[in-house]
Amino acid sequence: MSRRPPDAPEWLLTPEIGLCPCCCVGRRRRGSFVDKTVAGAANILREAMCNDEVAGRSGLLQRLDARAKLVSLLALLLAASLAHQVVILAALYAGTLILARASRLGLAFFVRRVWLFVPVFTGVIVIPAMFSFVTPGRIVVPIGDGWGLTEQGLAGAALIVARVATSVSLVVLLTLTTRWIDLLSSLRALRVPPVFVLVIGMAHRYVFALTTAVDEMFTARKARSIGPRGGARADRAFVAASAGALFGKAHALSEDVHQAMVARAYRGTPRTLSRTRLNSADLAWVGVCAATAILAVMGDRALGA
Amino acid sequence: MHIPDGYLSPATCATMGAAMVPVWLTAAQRVKRVVKSRYVPLLALAAAYSFMVMMFNVPIPDGTTAHAVGAVLIAVLLGPWAACIAVSVALLIQALFFGDGGVLAYGANAFNMAFVMPFVGYGVYRLTAGRSPLLSTRRAVAAAAGSYVGINAAALCAAVEFGLQPELFHTADGTPLYAPFHLSQTIPAMALAHLTVAGFVDAALTLAIVTYIQRANPALLRINHADLDPAIPRTPRRLGWGWAAAGIATMVLLAPLGLLAPGGAFGEGAPASLDLGKYGLSAIPAGLGRYADWWNHALLGGYGFAGGRHEVLGYVLSALVGIAAISLVVLALAAALGITRTRRGRERAPAGAP
Repeated sequence: MSRRPPDAPEWLLTPEIGLCPCCCVGRRRRGSFVDKTVAGAANILREAMCNDEVAGRSGLLQRLDARAKLVSLLALLLAASLAHQVVILAALYAGTLILARASRLGLAFFVRRVWLFVPVFTGVIVIPAMFSFVTPGRIVVPIGDGWGLTEQGLAGAALIVARVATSVSLVVLLTLTTRWIDLLSSLRALRVPPVFVLVIGMAHRYVFALTTAVDEMFTARKARSIGPRGGARADRAFVAASAGALFGKAHALSEDVHQAMVARAYRGTPRTLSRTRLNSADLAWVGVCAATAILAVMGDRALGA
Repeated sequence: MHIPDGYLSPATCATMGAAMVPVWLTAAQRVKRVVKSRYVPLLALAAAYSFMVMMFNVPIPDGTTAHAVGAVLIAVLLGPWAACIAVSVALLIQALFFGDGGVLAYGANAFNMAFVMPFVGYGVYRLTAGRSPLLSTRRAVAAAAGSYVGINAAALCAAVEFGLQPELFHTADGTPLYAPFHLSQTIPAMALAHLTVAGFVDAALTLAIVTYIQRANPALLRINHADLDPAIPRTPRRLGWGWAAAGIATMVLLAPLGLLAPGGAFGEGAPASLDLGKYGLSAIPAGLGRYADWWNHALLGGYGFAGGRHEVLGYVLSALVGIAAISLVVLALAAALGITRTRRGRERAPAGAP
């Protein structure tokens, strides 16, 4: 039997969820969307930290210039988007796996990250499209009277799953192997006006500041409440109040940031440091990717004919 | 509603992206003019805020998730142009840094959520709120109504973009190359999800947030409503020329839809094309035959050039000439009746007064 201090009130001794992430303490409850928001906020921070760690490893893609990577990513994305043959898409996907390996991402980690996303957003949408009532055609797997899975439906579903998986893999490769500050400066290579780049960079920075603020508000609320929560209605009121307060904080912060910028001689035009030059490896990389993209599209057309 | 890469054809993505470029440039000009050098941090924080609002996810039965986009909320708080940039930046951060929504499909996502949604929603908000006081319930309800309509308009756009894919892009044997669902399936699916669940999520969140801000920090509402003092009810303002021009421009853009309708307008055809049997006639009435063609000196007869050359150009030119002619007649009438002169005189009065 556990020792129990004589004067401790009962509520202090009742274990409350949230003390330990593995839920070994306290009762397991379905998380409300308040808890889910906190989890989401923590997830954003964790993901960003994880990305920075991966981007710091010494792999193939990490060594390349962000601009070269962004341009080549767009070329390959376009090729994947133009491809109409599953074989070509499968080849492009295999290429992303090789690149992930060469960039020391960990194949299991990389594949899991892509394929956790694909079934959730694509599988569910694509499944009804295989049936004859969405995509009419030659029925290959009859299910009921005059309906079933059609050849055209299955082919279309395979095509879209392959294309989404390839596209997501390409984007994940870029985001995982590039520090966001480099990625941001690479936007200028696409002729995005400097003002937009500045806004995007600051927004990215303050996403984390606001995430921390949300996290603090929700954690403070959790720390203040004892016993069961006031129900979904109170939770919703709290979410709305937090969002409203967050807007106030964001606006006050923008005023502070503006004053700080003006104090540091900001006069309405953003200035950037001089650009780094692309070296021959970067140019070679862009060339290889462009050639791959062109070959993929040409091969696709040849197979189609 | 974030469309990932792979669902839309590159042609659709390019079209939507091209449509957004002038919107972004105009938005940047407008916002810069209003808030001067303060606009960079303001938009950055608004974008970060928009990103946070999108974190509130609600799963809906069809497998996707609905989330409050918050574009209309930001349009109510900061104006639609600022909301356009803020949501665009939030979408870009999501696509590039967090893999939510496609990179090629970014233009389409921005069109739906950063252009259609804040502008439609803000329009509904302005119409519903009227000149009501800043802290009135009507204003909060108007913001919620704007959210509801805005998110549904955006969902409709997304549904049309999806639904056009199998019609436009398929192989010879009917295999869809991109999103597989037809318009008759995407529009009801998106409408059902957004009319019943997502619309209410967004509207309820907007209502609650605006009500909270009205109660706790009304100064925030004055950022976009500097002309509205909560205490003093304002006299109704004249509608400016800009509104009239916008209305006419909308009608001009929508007018070609009439070409899609079957049949012709009753009583507008030439006598020769009259279905005489239908009206119990045996011949074209003599008076109709005589007077139908007495004037045959029309500049652009049949809304086109003589001989039917350059059909589209002729049609558009006819429209422009028609609008210009009607505008001139109305202005001339107004000048004759002294409407414009009176107004100008009234404006000048205070300056000349002793």
